Amino acid sequence: MTKKSKAAKSQKSASKKQGAEKKPSLTFSMVANSQGTVSQRVDALTEKPLAAVKSDKNLQSVLKVLRNEKEPLKVRLAALQTLQAASFSVDVFEQSRGDYIATLREIVDDPDPELRQRVLGILAREKDGYAQQKLIEGLQHPEKQLVPPEKALQLLSYDVHANSYAVAREVVSKPPNEVARREALRLLAADASSAPLFEKILRDKDELAENRQIAASALHALKPEKLQENAREILLDKTEYKEIKATSLTALAQFGDEDEIRKDKALLKSVDRMSEEGTTKVKQTARRFLSKYER
Amino acid sequence: MNVELQINNSTTAATRFVTWAPSPCRIRVTNPSGATPPAVNVKLTGVSAASAGAVVFRQGTTGPFSDSLTLPVPVNGTSVRFFVAGKFGRPSVNNEDVTIEARDGTTLVGSIRLMVRIRKDANKLTPGERDRFISALAQLNNQGAGRFADFRDMHTDAGDLEAHGGPGFLPWHRVYLLDLERELQAIDPSVSLPYWRFDKAAPNIFTREFVGVSDNIGTVQFSPTNPLQFWKTDGVQGINRRPHFDTASEHPDLLTEAQTLARGTLFRQFREMQGNPHGTAHIHFGGSIANIDTAAKDPLFFMLHCNVDRLWAKWQRAVGRFNSLQASSYDTRPTNRIGHRLDNTMWPWNGITGGQRPPTAPGGTMAPSPCVAAPGLQPKVQDSLDYQGSINAVACMGFDYDDVKFA
Repeated sequence: MTKKSKAAKSQKSASKKQGAEKKPSLTFSMVANSQGTVSQRVDALTEKPLAAVKSDKNLQSVLKVLRNEKEPLKVRLAALQTLQAASFSVDVFEQSRGDYIATLREIVDDPDPELRQRVLGILAREKDGYAQQKLIEGLQHPEKQLVPPEKALQLLSYDVHANSYAVAREVVSKPPNEVARREALRLLAADASSAPLFEKILRDKDELAENRQIAASALHALKPEKLQENAREILLDKTEYKEIKATSLTALAQFGDEDEIRKDKALLKSVDRMSEEGTTKVKQTARRFLSKYER
Repeated sequence: MNVELQINNSTTAATRFVTWAPSPCRIRVTNPSGATPPAVNVKLTGVSAASAGAVVFRQGTTGPFSDSLTLPVPVNGTSVRFFVAGKFGRPSVNNEDVTIEARDGTTLVGSIRLMVRIRKDANKLTPGERDRFISALAQLNNQGAGRFADFRDMHTDAGDLEAHGGPGFLPWHRVYLLDLERELQAIDPSVSLPYWRFDKAAPNIFTREFVGVSDNIGTVQFSPTNPLQFWKTDGVQGINRRPHFDTASEHPDLLTEAQTLARGTLFRQFREMQGNPHGTAHIHFGGSIANIDTAAKDPLFFMLHCNVDRLWAKWQRAVGRFNSLQASSYDTRPTNRIGHRLDNTMWPWNGITGGQRPPTAPGGTMAPSPCVAAPGLQPKVQDSLDYQGSINAVACMGFDYDDVKFA
């Protein structure tokens, strides 16, 4: 949507909302009205999210739209968004939560990939065991995939446990693509038994900079002394990539042991060089780092 | 002759921060040599660059502010009270970018540097303001091992009835944000929470240098100099956020600021904003910000809520709703659950667990401020309303928004 069309829509919406408001029951009769236009039905759904859960009749009407594969996708997505927005008003929403979650489980394998992904996202954030099982099954058996493997791993990261670690390790060793490998590494960042893997990745210059950064951060949590040690080595290594050097400098500037750094003349000299080279932002970071040590 | 200036009635550097609300200050003669008893007339003026903060003065608790103030100060060392406030529209950009000069005639007899510390639109921050904010936030998180974990744990399903289960929604989040802001200020006192104005496009916020840019699956990417690249919550690195709108040019489709402020003149009407625009802003993303239990994993969440609080502050100012004794300022229905009535203490700062309260109370008491006493270590719902001290000066909570006046 362009800025112009957004503004026009906003203006239309504003004039409508500032006028005499319809009662919720009238608004919601439009939600279920298949004669209404998509736009009318979406507006009816999104205008007052709390009205969707203030009566069981309204709730059931929204859930019915959400379940119905024959309904236009825009209307179904609006139904989902309305329920999500209402879920932030716990006192009003609590009585509807059971029906809401049950409906989401019903449609995790909906034919539409966007709806499927959003529904699985909500359930994963609710730490829903049924959704987690479906995501792990999809990673183990590609024919059962509901979302791409990288998305499944990302969603499993909301509730990491032994089963998801096992499947993430498999993805790291046999990745279907680089993004899936990255997401598997992120998921493993709290797994103590993965520390050797992260040490190996951090020192491997053939690895993607992003994966090496994940490895550095993971190691800091698993073996705290490793961040400073590795960041220092990377900064002193003249053959290292600029991006990973910038990451290492940022790590030391934010989380480094100030007493150790103050004594480390080789490191300070190396950062001094960075303050004269590199991008403007790297120079600024280096100068800020040095000013902390009065250089 | 020399004078000593005290901001917020203290000589310590930690108190040299003001907002639009008047801060109590003092001046006294510390070295009377050359002065003629019994008193000397000292003129106070704020000095700063055009792009920096600016201050105004008044002598008493009421009356207009002015750009300068002349006070008779006893040479025997007795303190004289006055008030300083930020000049509306002139917030500071850096710490100590305003100087108050005290002059006897043309002779400078004392000075003090301070900051007009104000919450600003995140989309309009200078690079320095932005970098200081994300640096403090990253340090508070300390890759998942820092104090931020408490703030993440306060905003979960376990405490959702306290935070979202009634009219205390706005008061609870006001105190929650202030608690976080004070922790950030303990790391860098020049930081204040910025707000994401979600009814306007905010291209400067969704960048790799600020809250990051989402890739195709919603994993947020940062520049290598952004410390948020080390963000970690619940043991997992990174931030998941998948916008359902073009963050470079669009904004979520929700009630505008004007529409929100026009919800009604009673708090009971206004608080319906919990659904739209508040809930609606949350669900314009996939990712952690879209659920109560996971929202606080994303730094953007705090900027979203800062705007929710700003809207409440703006509504309060527009219709005069600071007095908790007036029914229109709050929803006082007796059916409101515990934690949502005016005289209830708020969880988790009250430390109460079990029964109708959640089983744990993460984070301890409210962080104190060196500048103000309110809202106390265990705030009540009613303590959150008069945040500027408009009704009672001691209720001032020590924060302000760039577009909400004091009076």
